[in-house]
Order: sequence, then C-alpha cells, then structure tokens
Amino acid sequence: MTELALLLRQWQRRPGRALATVASIAVAIGAIVATWIASDASRVGYRALAESIEGTPAIDIVARAGGRWEPSLAPRLVGIPGVRAAVPLVFRPSLLRAGEARVRDVAVGLDAAGLAEAGLLRLTAGRPCEGSDELILSQRLADSIGRGVGDEVIFFAKRGVRRLTIAGIADPQSLVSFTDGAGIVLDLAALTDLAGTGGLVDRIRLVLHDDASRAAVVAAANGRLPAALVAQVPPGRASMADEMLAAANLGLDFVTALTVAMAWFIVGNAMLMNVTERRRSFALKRVVGASGRQVARSVMTEAGLLGLVGAIVGILGGLVAANPIARNIAAFLRSPDVSITVNPWLVLAALVLGPLVAIAAAWWPARQAARVDLLEGLANVPPPPGGVPRTLMLVAAGLWCLAFAILAAAGAGWLPARAAVPAGIATLLAFIATTPAVLGPLARLLGRFIPRRFGIERGIALEQVLRQPVRTVLTTGVLVAAIGNGVGLGHVIRDSVDDILGWYSRALAADWILMQAGSLAVQGDASPSAGQGIMDAVRAIDGVAAAEPLSIVIGSVDGHACLLVARDLPPTGRLPLDAVGMSDEALRRVLEEGGVAIGTALARQADRRLGDEITLAAFGRTLRLPIRAVVRDYMAGGSSVFLTRTTARRLLGIDSVDAVLITARPDAAAALERPLDAIARDHSMLLQSHREMRAMMDRITTGLVGALWSILGLGFVVGSLGVANTVAMNVLEKRRTIGLLRAVGMTGRQVSRLVLIESLLIGGIGSLIGVGAGIATALFIQLSSQALLGHPLAMSIRPTVILGNVAAALAITAVAAWLPARRAIGLDLLEAVSAE
Amino acid sequence: MATASSASAAPVLVADRLAKTFAPGSGDGAHVAAVQGVSFSVAAGEMVAIIGASGSGKSTILHMLGGITRPTSGRVLLEGVDLAALDDDRLAIIRRRRIGFIFQRYNLLPELSLVENVALPLVLDGRPERECRERALEAIAAVGLEQRAEHRPDALSGGEQQRGAIARGLVTQPAVVLADEPTGALDSTNARSVMRLLTRLVEDRGLTVVLVTHDPAIAAAANRAIRIVDGLIAGPDGESVSQ
Repeated sequence: MTELALLLRQWQRRPGRALATVASIAVAIGAIVATWIASDASRVGYRALAESIEGTPAIDIVARAGGRWEPSLAPRLVGIPGVRAAVPLVFRPSLLRAGEARVRDVAVGLDAAGLAEAGLLRLTAGRPCEGSDELILSQRLADSIGRGVGDEVIFFAKRGVRRLTIAGIADPQSLVSFTDGAGIVLDLAALTDLAGTGGLVDRIRLVLHDDASRAAVVAAANGRLPAALVAQVPPGRASMADEMLAAANLGLDFVTALTVAMAWFIVGNAMLMNVTERRRSFALKRVVGASGRQVARSVMTEAGLLGLVGAIVGILGGLVAANPIARNIAAFLRSPDVSITVNPWLVLAALVLGPLVAIAAAWWPARQAARVDLLEGLANVPPPPGGVPRTLMLVAAGLWCLAFAILAAAGAGWLPARAAVPAGIATLLAFIATTPAVLGPLARLLGRFIPRRFGIERGIALEQVLRQPVRTVLTTGVLVAAIGNGVGLGHVIRDSVDDILGWYSRALAADWILMQAGSLAVQGDASPSAGQGIMDAVRAIDGVAAAEPLSIVIGSVDGHACLLVARDLPPTGRLPLDAVGMSDEALRRVLEEGGVAIGTALARQADRRLGDEITLAAFGRTLRLPIRAVVRDYMAGGSSVFLTRTTARRLLGIDSVDAVLITARPDAAAALERPLDAIARDHSMLLQSHREMRAMMDRITTGLVGALWSILGLGFVVGSLGVANTVAMNVLEKRRTIGLLRAVGMTGRQVSRLVLIESLLIGGIGSLIGVGAGIATALFIQLSSQALLGHPLAMSIRPTVILGNVAAALAITAVAAWLPARRAIGLDLLEAVSAE
Repeated sequence: MATASSASAAPVLVADRLAKTFAPGSGDGAHVAAVQGVSFSVAAGEMVAIIGASGSGKSTILHMLGGITRPTSGRVLLEGVDLAALDDDRLAIIRRRRIGFIFQRYNLLPELSLVENVALPLVLDGRPERECRERALEAIAAVGLEQRAEHRPDALSGGEQQRGAIARGLVTQPAVVLADEPTGALDSTNARSVMRLLTRLVEDRGLTVVLVTHDPAIAAAANRAIRIVDGLIAGPDGESVSQ
C-alpha cells in the first residue's frame, strides 16, 4: 500500500471533504483563469476603444528641423520588431469643389492600395485610388458634399486645378490613423506631384502591432535613422490612449494579482480545515512511527494532487466563466472585437499554478499536522485554543515595511507606477496578517450588535471565532481581499473619473468647439489672417456670449514631444487650468507676465520641476524658458505646454486659430449649430457640440469603469464562493461540537442561528478590516499614480462604495451560511458525536 | 521519589524519576502534577501492569514510556536509549521500530483494511511492499484473524479490532508493547480473550508488555503490578510512597 493509495482511500471514505477542497482550488484557479482572460479581453477592448478615438498605435518619423525629406528608408523600418507597416505621408492644404459646395480640407497623400491590402484602410464603397486622377473621400466628407463613388470633383492644388474621380469612400475610423482627421486622400505620388514637393514627404508613420511597445520601437527606429530624422510618439494623438491603457492595465494587474492572493487564502483555509478534521488520523500515524516530516509530506502530496484536480476543473470553469464576462466588457467598451483567446501558456500555467498554490497554501496546515499533539489527536478532542503566532506578527511587520518601502520608492520616482501593484498587495496582506492582533476587540465589538436574547449563540460563536485565530484570519482573509479589492479599486475608479471629468469641465467649458481638421499636421501653414476671419465670423453670430481662440502646435520640451497650447485667460472667474500648489490668481499672474506652464506628466517625463529651465522647440524656433507653473492636464496625456496667446505670438510667432471654444447665451446653444456649421465648412473645420464631446468622454469613462467593475464583480463572486465553501467546511469540521450541543439540548433553530451569527461575525470582521485595507490600497495606488499622471489624484472617502461593498459582503456571508446551517440542524447526533 | 523493583533479567525499559506537570488550562491557573517522580524498570519478557484509579496518572506514565509525550523531568530509557534526549524524528523512528502500541479504542485507520493497518508501521519505515504484507499477515495469523485480513475496521467486531491492534503492535517485533486499557472497551468475553492472547504472546514469543488498567482482574494476569496513586507509586498498603 503506497501513500497515494492511502490518500485515495481517504478520499473515497470522505468524498465530501476532498470535494470541498477540490472545489476551493477550482474556484481559485477558475478565478485566476477567468480574470486573466477577462483582463486580456479588456486590454484588447481598451486598445480598440483608444484606436477608435485616436487611431491605431503609431510612431512618426519626422525631420528634426521640420520640413520634408526623401522617404527611401521606409522599407528598412518595417524590419523593426513591433512595426506592422511604414507609411510615407504628405499633407497639403487644399480646396475641393463639388458643384456649388466648396470644402477646405487637408489632402493626405499615401499608398491607399497597399494600406487597403494590409487591412489598415477600410473602404465602405469603391476601391483604393490609383494614379493621378483619382481620390478617396472620407464617408463624412462625401456625405457633406453629397458625392459618391464615380462622381467627379475639382481639386485645387499648388500646380493648378485638376478634375478627379472619387474611386472610393473610406471609413473615417480607419482613415483617422493616417489623416489625423482630414477627409481627402490621394495617391502619394499624385499628391507630391500636384503639390510640387518633388517626391519628398512630411513624415513616415510606423503602424505598430497591438502588443508592441512604443518606447522600444522609438528606441529601435532612432538607432536606424540618420541624424536629421527623429522617431517620436505623435503628440496629442496616442499619449492619451497610452495613459488610459496604462491606468487600466494597472487596475487589471492589481485585480489579477489580488485574485492569486485570494486563491491562496481560499485554498489555505480549505487545507487547514481538511487537516484539522483529520488530527486523529495524523496522531495515530505519528504514534505508530510516522515522523512529523512524513506527515507533513503526505499533506503536501495530498495538496498537490487535489491542486492538480482542482486546476483542471478550475481551468474548465474559468474558460466557461470568462466568456460572459468578456462579452460584458465588450458591451461596456462597445467593442465588437473583444473575443476570447485561450492562450495555451495560460492553461499550462494554471495547471502548474493549481498544485503550486495548493502546496504553498498547505505549508502551514502541514506544519500543524506534523505538530499535532498526539494525546489530543488520539482523544479526538478539538484543537486547543491557538494564540497569535509570533511568526505571523513578524510577517505582518515585514509586509508593512515592504509596502511602505515600495510606496516611498515609488513616490521618490525610483520605481515605476506599476510598483503600485505589489505595494497594494503587500498592504492588503499586511492588513490580513495583522488581523489576529485585533481579532478579539473587533469580534467583541461586533458581538454587541447581536441581540441579548441570542446570548448563548453569541457566546459560543464568539468563542469559536476567537479559538483559532489563524483559521479565522484565513477565512476573513478571503473577505478582506474581496472587500479591499472592491473598496480600493472602487475609490480609484471613481476618483480617476472625477479627476478627468473635473479637468474636462474646467479646461473645455464651452457649448461648441470648432477645430481645424488635420491641424496638428500642417500647423505651419495656418495663417493669422484666416484665424482672425474665423473669430470675427463666430463673434458676429447672434447668441454667442464668448468665443475663445486656441492655438495648438506640435513642439518638444527637452526632446519630449508635446502639445503647445496658447489660450487667453478669462479676465475674471475660474481659470481653465488647474495649477499644482498655486492659486488661480498666482497662475494668472505668471502666465500674463509671459511665463509658461507645463503639464504634470510632461514635467515628470522631462524630470523638470517648478523653476527649472526647459528647452522649448516649436515652429522652427528653440527657446530656453523657466517653468513658472505646473498644471494638471489630460490633454495629450498631460504632455502639454501652456502660455497666453500674447506670449506665444511674441516668443514663437504663433497666431493661428486651431480651435475656438464658443459659449452660447442662455438657451441659445442649439440655435448656434447652423451658423457655426457654415463657418466650419467655409474654413475646413470640424464642429463638435459639448454634448458630443461629453458623450465621447462618457464613452471612454463608462467603458473603462464598466470593464473594471465587471472584473471587480468577478472578484466578489470568487470571494463569495470562497466564503461559502469556507463556511460550509467550517460546519463540517464542527460536526462533533454541534452534535454535542444538540445532544445537550440545543434546538435546531439555535444551531442554525449559531452558524449564522458566527458567519456574520466573520463577515463583519472581514468587512471592517477589508474597508481599512481597501482605503489604504486606494491611497497607495493613487500616490503611485503620481508617476503615471504626474500629479496625485485627490482622494475622497466614498460612503456609497464602502457601504455597497460591506452590504454585499454581509449578504454573501449570510447566504453562504444558510445551507451549512440547514445541514447543521440535520446532522445525525450519534454520527456527529463520534465523528472522526 | 517513588520506586518499584524490577525483575532480575536485564531491563528493557527504565523509568527514572519520571515526572509530568501539565500547564494550567483555565480556572485558578494552578499547574497539575500528574506524575511526581516515578521510577521502575521492566525486564525483557515481562508483563507489567500499571494500575490505578481514574486520574491517578497511570496513562500519563504509559504515554511517557512510549514517547508520545515528554516528561517534565526524569528519563525513559528504552534499551539504554534516553527517549527524552531524542528529537521528534528520531523518536518517531524508535516508536516505529521498537515500540508497539495498543489503545483502548483500537485506533485503526478506518480507510485501510486490517492487513494495511497492521502493515502501517513497516510501510512508514520504508520496507518493501511484499515484506510489509507478509509480516502483517504473519502478525494477523498470530492473533487468529487470518480470515479477516482484508476487511476494513468497520466490518470487524470490537474484540477483532483490538486483536488487530495487537497484531499491529507486534508486527515490528518491538522491544516493548505498551497497552493502554486494552480491554476497556470490550465486553468480558472479549476482554478475557484479548488478555489470553497477550499472555500467550508473552509466554510464546518472549514479548515485553506494559499495560495500564484500572481492573485488578486484568492486572492479575501480569507478572507484576505497579499501583499508582496521585502520580506516585503506592506502597504495599496502598499509600503513596515518596521520599
């Protein structure tokens, strides 16, 4: 008879115990698999969302000194890992006439046939343009001029006028990746010929694979480029997507890591109960000669085998569960492309992780089994009351130190923002490890809320909870992890959304916005007189209360790409900028004195602080300027430089009008649409209402928040299953005690109440500690987010998030206790009293 | 210190000033001195009964003799080896190879058949499977349960289970078999049968047995009896003997 055979016999004899342990492991592994897959699906969804707003991930190759250049190096760039395509681009302002309609827009020259073939350019009708007498229009532009495939338009260019045929209509979503909002596309050779650029291009856009690292591609490209060229992330275009993805990834990483931690607690608890129930068997083995090591090894072997079985069941369950979760996330992100991909490595990892988590979780129970008191074990008396193990307190102290060390290092900028994940997990575990020290006072405090008439049940339940602190810690640990997760990420999510929306309502407070189409790419061609014309036209409209012009120019600060935003400050009231550590009045003063303010993220990237000097390059000029203010900003992900229009004109000669923020008189907003639309058409601009922009913001935030809540919900479901299983095993383990209580006259109802009270006490303790852990976790993530955003998020305690989580936890615990309570009533007294 | 004389043959087991004090549980917090310095020796081939009333400390002495619990002070010498000086692993090996245990409640593992239960100490000792089985069947034959070898404990009567437990105690050919109230859970017929078996094994195989009982009739079957009163060996008049 081998050890394995003995294990099999034990499982056969008590299948419920083995199944409960397998179920715990399956829940844990299933949660990991489902969370992993759902997180992957979310990442794909987030990227799709970002791309739908800002185009596919890309890197631009441009001339350092500005101007056009010869694109023969394009094929060499395709060989860079992560690069999907290298697309030479030429941008030219142009005028299009179709019948009576005249449209000023930017024409973009590119290899339409090649892009369409590569699946990067989608046409809703027709085919890609070829040769010098065809063009493609964006669906939006074609609709606005009432033309379709096969129709002719007149194209005005530098070398004259040409009649062109519309060969195809492009999906604006796919076009935005290359045209930055412009709607006219010609063949690259045709446009360079028409524009007289002599085959030179403005830039080569490197389209990246989804999983490519922008930083790695920029570094690799710069290594292959001549000195006159530079690779950079297109400012104002991709950085917001990057920031959004980085923040979301941080949340997803945290949830995944937390699920693994939760899995450890669930399995650890199951194994500890499994072992506690078999003290007599272990004691007997020890008496007949098994060494402590042999007993511990048998427990570990059992854990490994149950872990393997649990992993197989968990993987299958996780794959099934991931499907609806991913669909839910897709619905939130409005992304039809979110699909489940089963990574074989994930399956393999889960197969290994199951036994590993089980063995790691069985370490403590195995130690307990090896050290079981032989006399007590043989007499089958319940384990003696356990004290607070000194090791656990040392572990708790170590975890607190670790968490604060990571936090301090992240705060000092020595660690990346991702350090928030281990710091948050360490904090959570520190809270859990500290639980035994506060268990008694907390349990007694909560006990006071139980009505006096249930005094007997309360007394026994309290004794049960306090008798084995480690067991209680493992049970509450599952809840603490679930609630800590919910409260922590709940706060982070809400605070982040409020921060973004707060910035938005402050920075872009307007009823309508007029924006130059493709303005970022051709800024140098914008003329001041055209800008003045736009402003005059807007201000002449009846119902316009205020119109604020903005100049937006691509530039760089100490080599870091940025958006240069020049805007006038309102004479009174709140400023559109929110300075860090500076009042509105002080900010107004420094900007009006000709100073510049930079975004928090840019300051972080360039490692510059208030008062430092920066090298600002824009519009072909390079200036050394001091930083007079640092402002919270999400435009271009915080990579922005702000100055007044007067300063911009004086220092850089910038006087363009790239966007106009229009505030309507009360009740006149809707009436402005028609006249503003006419101005937009005359000046090749895009008109967006506050509602449309708000809808876009809402879409982003709802998608992000919804997806994160979905995964958080999964964490709660896992926590519930873990708690349900734990409570069920708890009752199973206490069969003897319950049998004795029943034998001496406790009624079934009292027993059921006892189980319920004990479960609620555990739920209450888990909730209180979980709320503390959650708030601390939120604080950690938000402090670490400084590395990401450049500024700390303002944190506010949100009672709804806390109460929602606590209510859910208590409800889950009560429901989880109901079935075991019913079982406890139905126990056979004789069997219970003589339970092994 | 209480003492009891040993037989003339070389002692296999020596209890030297054994004492055991239990830490306070609850209540007044007083320590409980269960055994208060007991010395005696057991010779090879001898059957010694330790008798006493419930709570007198007799079972605690047996547990210290078997290395199940460590004495607070004093020594247990088994074949000259001081059990108190051994670490847990070495103590487990001694229990496995040189000590056989028989308990009042049989303590057979319910998931194993009788032969597997009996073979357990050999299996734990890493002996080849065939040897384990052969020796277990031999021990089962010695207690007359050949026909029940493949049965699980729940299919055996109380007397059969106790005989099975005796077979497990014999299987390693231990230096001493320690029996804690071996007939305590049996009816009188089975109790007599089990005692006859033990006596026969002592006589036929030269087995050394120390048994704990509160029943003078059972103690009468032993070569010698040591009476324990309040953790001390009692004198001939029944009073505790102390120095």
